[in-house]
Amino acid sequence: MASTAGIEDASRDPPSPPSPTASFYDMSDDSEREYSTIRHSRSGKGVKLLYTKSKVYVHPTSSARDNVPGYIALMQQKPAAGDVTTPSTSPEPSARRAQRRSLLLAWVPESSLGEASSTYAKVESSTSPSPPQHSPLVPAPPVTTTHSSSLGTYAFSVPVSEVFSILVRPPNSGWWHGSVVINTRAGDSFPALFFHDSECQSTIEQRKRLQRENFSISSPEGSGGVFWGGDELIRWLKSYVHVERSAQEPSIYLIDPNDADKLSFGSGGKPTSHNVRNVLEGKHKDEPAMHKQGEDPVTKALKQARWSFLEKMAQVTTFTRRTAQAVAENKNLPPQVKRLMQSPQVQTVSDEFDSARLYLARWAMGIAEQSEKERNQRIWTAKDVLEMEETGVGEFEILDLDAQNISLADKRKPVSLQEWKGYFNASTGRLERTPDEVKERIFHGGLATDDGARKEAWLFLLGVYDWTSTKEERRAKMNSLRDEYIRLKGAWWERMVDEQGTLEEREWWKEQKMRIEKDVHRTDRHIPLFAGEDIPHPDPDSPFAEAGTNVHLEQMKDMLLTYNEYNRDLGYVQGMSDLLAPIYAIEQDDAVAFWGFVKFMERMERNFLRDQSGMRLQLLTLDQLCQLLDPKLYEHLQKLDSTNFFFFFRMLLVWFKREFSFEDILRLYETLWTDFLSANFHLFVAMAILEKHRNVIMEHLKGFDEVLKYVNELSGSIDLPSTLVRAEALFKRFQRVVEAIDRKSSFPAAPVARQRVPLPLPPPPATSPGVDGRPRQASAESGSGARRRSSSTAVAVTTGRERTVGDHVGAGVGAEKERVVTPELRALLSREVPKLDKVEVRAHGGGVGS
Amino acid sequence: MSSRKKILLKVIILGDSGVGKTSLMNQYVNKKFSASYKATIGADFLTKEVLVDDRLVTMQLWDTAGQERFQSLGVAFYRGADCCVLVYDVNNAKSFDTLDSWRDEFLIQASPMDPEGFPFVVLGNKVDVGEDKRVISTKRAMAFCQAKGGIPYFETSAKEAVNVEQAFEVIARNALAQEESQDFNPDFPETIPINIGEQNQGCSC
Repeated sequence: MASTAGIEDASRDPPSPPSPTASFYDMSDDSEREYSTIRHSRSGKGVKLLYTKSKVYVHPTSSARDNVPGYIALMQQKPAAGDVTTPSTSPEPSARRAQRRSLLLAWVPESSLGEASSTYAKVESSTSPSPPQHSPLVPAPPVTTTHSSSLGTYAFSVPVSEVFSILVRPPNSGWWHGSVVINTRAGDSFPALFFHDSECQSTIEQRKRLQRENFSISSPEGSGGVFWGGDELIRWLKSYVHVERSAQEPSIYLIDPNDADKLSFGSGGKPTSHNVRNVLEGKHKDEPAMHKQGEDPVTKALKQARWSFLEKMAQVTTFTRRTAQAVAENKNLPPQVKRLMQSPQVQTVSDEFDSARLYLARWAMGIAEQSEKERNQRIWTAKDVLEMEETGVGEFEILDLDAQNISLADKRKPVSLQEWKGYFNASTGRLERTPDEVKERIFHGGLATDDGARKEAWLFLLGVYDWTSTKEERRAKMNSLRDEYIRLKGAWWERMVDEQGTLEEREWWKEQKMRIEKDVHRTDRHIPLFAGEDIPHPDPDSPFAEAGTNVHLEQMKDMLLTYNEYNRDLGYVQGMSDLLAPIYAIEQDDAVAFWGFVKFMERMERNFLRDQSGMRLQLLTLDQLCQLLDPKLYEHLQKLDSTNFFFFFRMLLVWFKREFSFEDILRLYETLWTDFLSANFHLFVAMAILEKHRNVIMEHLKGFDEVLKYVNELSGSIDLPSTLVRAEALFKRFQRVVEAIDRKSSFPAAPVARQRVPLPLPPPPATSPGVDGRPRQASAESGSGARRRSSSTAVAVTTGRERTVGDHVGAGVGAEKERVVTPELRALLSREVPKLDKVEVRAHGGGVGS
Repeated sequence: MSSRKKILLKVIILGDSGVGKTSLMNQYVNKKFSASYKATIGADFLTKEVLVDDRLVTMQLWDTAGQERFQSLGVAFYRGADCCVLVYDVNNAKSFDTLDSWRDEFLIQASPMDPEGFPFVVLGNKVDVGEDKRVISTKRAMAFCQAKGGIPYFETSAKEAVNVEQAFEVIARNALAQEESQDFNPDFPETIPINIGEQNQGCSC
């Protein structure tokens, strides 16, 4: 290796392992010759462009319009001869110092690149992980070690030797772009450089590559965040100089720190309010005596502490004033930080952080979701399922999903129309499998989306047709159902025309008609079927008269009004239109869809009662389920006053209709209709969604309002297939827990103190008798193969109102282990669909009765 | 004064289904109108930071389902409200007639310290629809508001962004006044002196 005069040998270059060859003259390509023609000019025309990254912006003002896009770059200039011989004040080898001096950290606005822009683009797109051997030359940006106000929109470069530290703020400290600030040894800070990663092709490529290679795009810097442009900068620097992350201040990277730096950094001196103010107002310039090696270490530490402090604020603040105060009163906060908090500027910033936080939590989840989706591209294996559970819930045991001889992949293949038809006898049309077999297939695989399988199969799943019926019986049944539909439709039509009934009834009908009108016009209008406004509205007085309507909307209205007639005890209630739309979309025949809906409503009625008792019961059950399956999460929710589980109200009311795409809803509904594992499987789906987000909820969410907001905004982002797998796993786990408790409780019981379960809901209105929307047969354990009941048999008949636990099971388990099976929970093992009887609906439906 | 404390104003928006609660809120916060909002199920809220007399406050606007049977579970949100917005549709008499019961229901559920002085604002929405469809006159609405102790009244159109900004400015101002009058802060358990004997009627049951 040639060592030319004035240039020290690379072999003397100390540690930094992946160090490239240090000798400038190691170039062997054409660029060397080119370079040598301009080498005398230190600030002249050519420097080697080692690394660069585009879409790094300076934000000179608070307006995004003023942002200036540019390139950040690491360059190498030819060291002037003098540099090397200049006696160095530091004890380090002069060689290293010289090398650092030859390195420039630069920012160049796009607009000033001129002809060099293609060179920049080429270097940026280079994917080699090791330092470049041959680097093209680009014009040198002006070298500076201080920044004046005129800087910011003009190119600048700083010798790396003059860089004291780099403040690195990854993008996850706010919804802002990640940024870096270069702090020089002279105590100056350059304007922050913002990495607009989403616009930067090379960062996007790098993320993709990381994901391909590691199934992860997390930052190599271990910040837990996502890989971003700033990570690259640190990597470049590390390959040339010693970069040390400050132990005290992880967002600070010290560049080639000497011992004095390490020692002085963050130590000593008492902060004064003067310092604090200067830091806040960015007035480092006014500071008096600069230390020789940099600014006042206290100021520096404070300046650096500021961002990390705000980051911490971001983790703890909440919408409620409560927590902000709690933070201020936190004993662990150093006094100077407390003082900082009082400053109006910090308050403003922390407010911004505040609203950023929910966004962040979602965003973090989004990333996880994305990578999960990519994994889902592969065929499910038992291992996948297991892995998912381990990360999601923790202590799952091995699933017996693959115990059967059908592989998971086969089980999860949709049932095609052909397969469906094959289940039936060709001549009689009678089912030749057990309904359970068919249900299991649909539960795991769903029905094919494009061949009409749903149109047939849904009528069985919904219970319009008996599983045991023949083709002929079904035909007869449908004929009479059609007649009945027409009769019912005629009944309300006459009612409207003739204004029959009492004044109260007429008012009710008018109101209901209006409600249906309004709701149908805002139900699933994004689906092509319901989108059109191609026919004039039949009623000129309708608020939608001007907008127009379409035939399917009109059918929807007719069906809902017919339901209002059919079930006058309950009538139409908001949310029902959401439940009807999928059935109509599949059947596309009003009479058929109507009866499918009627059957669906039999199990959903309890959601719509005037006293909301059915919803209360389900929310209560969810409360208990969470308590049993994930006590830690439950404890957290308790702290947030969120154990009323109201944030699941929407999901339960219309079976996740607002959370998933229309396509996914079709799949979800047919899964739930099978009642294959439980007639209340939707509660396990809810639990699965909750579990998936448990970490975010526990780490980030600090109040009831935040939980509600977070859960509401999951809408549209939940992956259905993995949620179903998770729900199934949760059910199995639940089943095992119940079995274990039952086994234990069959031992002689020791008296156990009655323990109160936290009351999650206000008691129902006094007018409600002991109905609670509970299905009559909720405690019966049919189907699913006689679960062991042993000594707890007697308890299951207690009413849902009974909120005292411990007397059921708990006995023999020991008081410290509070795992109990309430009647609500036990009912979850049942595959019998919970239905209300007519008397209950009449008492609590809130309709006009018959 | 504690004026530097971060201020959160909780505002509850009530009214019959389809009067435009969600639309008003979205017009105010996001400056957007969509004809295809779905019927609100459960509850949701939006937040907006605003300056009220150069005080920076965060408004938390709660939107709920309009069908009254869904209100029974909504108690949790009403607590600690600083202002209640009652919305009706000027083209729908029923929605106006029910304003009174919405107001009563709110006072029962939220049980504010001083029900008489609690700030309400009434919004008559959908004034863009056209005079021929209109059934509730301004005069009639004003009379109602007067009778209820001088409730501020605005006629709005979420669709055309008419009066929305102005209405919410008053809402914010009244909410802030309410919040400040409550500065001893009943929903702040930490600061309540421990005199259990004094605990009067129905608190957190």
